[in-house]
Amino acid sequence: MCNETPGRYTSSRKDRYAPGVPPASSLSSLDDAALARRVAGAGERVDSEAETELYRRLAPRVRLYGLRHLRDRQAAADLVQQVLLMTLERLRAGKLREPEKIASFVLGTCRMTVLEMRRGSWRRETLLETYGDRAEAYETPEPLALDPERLTGCLEGLAERERSVVLLTFFADKPGEEVAKEVGTSAGNVRVIRHRALARLRDCMGAAEGGMR
Amino acid sequence: MTCKSPIDFETLIAYWLGELPAAVEEPLEEHLFGCQHCTRRLEELAALASGIRAAVRAGAVAAIISAQFLESMKKQGMRIREYAPPRGGRVDCTMKADDDLVVSRLAAPLAGVKRLDAHQTIEIGGQVVADLRLEDVPFDPTAVEVFHAQGGRLRHMPAHTARVRLISVEDAGEREIGHYTFVHTPG
Repeated sequence: MCNETPGRYTSSRKDRYAPGVPPASSLSSLDDAALARRVAGAGERVDSEAETELYRRLAPRVRLYGLRHLRDRQAAADLVQQVLLMTLERLRAGKLREPEKIASFVLGTCRMTVLEMRRGSWRRETLLETYGDRAEAYETPEPLALDPERLTGCLEGLAERERSVVLLTFFADKPGEEVAKEVGTSAGNVRVIRHRALARLRDCMGAAEGGMR
Repeated sequence: MTCKSPIDFETLIAYWLGELPAAVEEPLEEHLFGCQHCTRRLEELAALASGIRAAVRAGAVAAIISAQFLESMKKQGMRIREYAPPRGGRVDCTMKADDDLVVSRLAAPLAGVKRLDAHQTIEIGGQVVADLRLEDVPFDPTAVEVFHAQGGRLRHMPAHTARVRLISVEDAGEREIGHYTFVHTPG
């Protein structure tokens, strides 16, 4: 995966994060736990290189969690900043006792913060007041983006039923049962059509060799 | 970046759409947070979902849609021009520059239909320039309309006449359940 070519996936900010292109950091060979230990070891002296690499690596995971649970890009971006700035602060302050459990800590913080966001008790102003300029210090990698013309062509190449199921599913991220009610079939049938359609789309987009299976 | 036990793509789709029970979802998230490889695969799925949404919003894709889908596009502020010719009838139609989509509402008796095909011809200046049969289109058998959404291509088409037939495909053969004529003038 690391060395695969980007294929048809493109990023509007390739200088910062080009999918499939190894990051420039010399720390990219370290695992998450080793990076977390470096951040924790530096403490208030701040190991910027390790922090930047850890942020770069964890940001997509947090953003995807945010998109999955909040279904809102801005809220997901806020979640990335809130969770990762808190994580780095805790590491620096030596408050994360087991840096090798960094992934579990970040996931737990995501869950807690999403609950706060849903309850309405989380505010962006508080994030800015708490972290100030530090909120701007780390660049969040841009999400993957597809070539829209190629995707349109690939969608047009699907069978009518496949295209309808894919559009109905992903326009509002609807589960199979809801889509099934709209097209008068079973949820199982929708899942079969959906799976087949996505496989064809991924092949068409040139992504199949990238290991999406 | 490798993974000894990668999450299969079908499970990632189910996760993304909220179909998994909590007992499956929670350990899956633990795995994702510790695995760059599977995160990358989920990113690719998220990119597909986002790209599909953008294509719909741009009116780039023609498709048979549902009544609920039409409503959710309207709720999201899309500008949709609708035409509902009577069964067996015709309608004058267009697509204006600021329309995102044109939706044809095809009234038809769908109860009891098992498989539905849509046959469309397009005539320009009396010549048939396209003859297309969409097989096994999705429809709600409890509904009384089929919805066909069109965007990008229609915007660039010259004046033409589109004739659509809805055909019920049955064991004993085929039966037309409706036909409609759209006389299109560029907006």
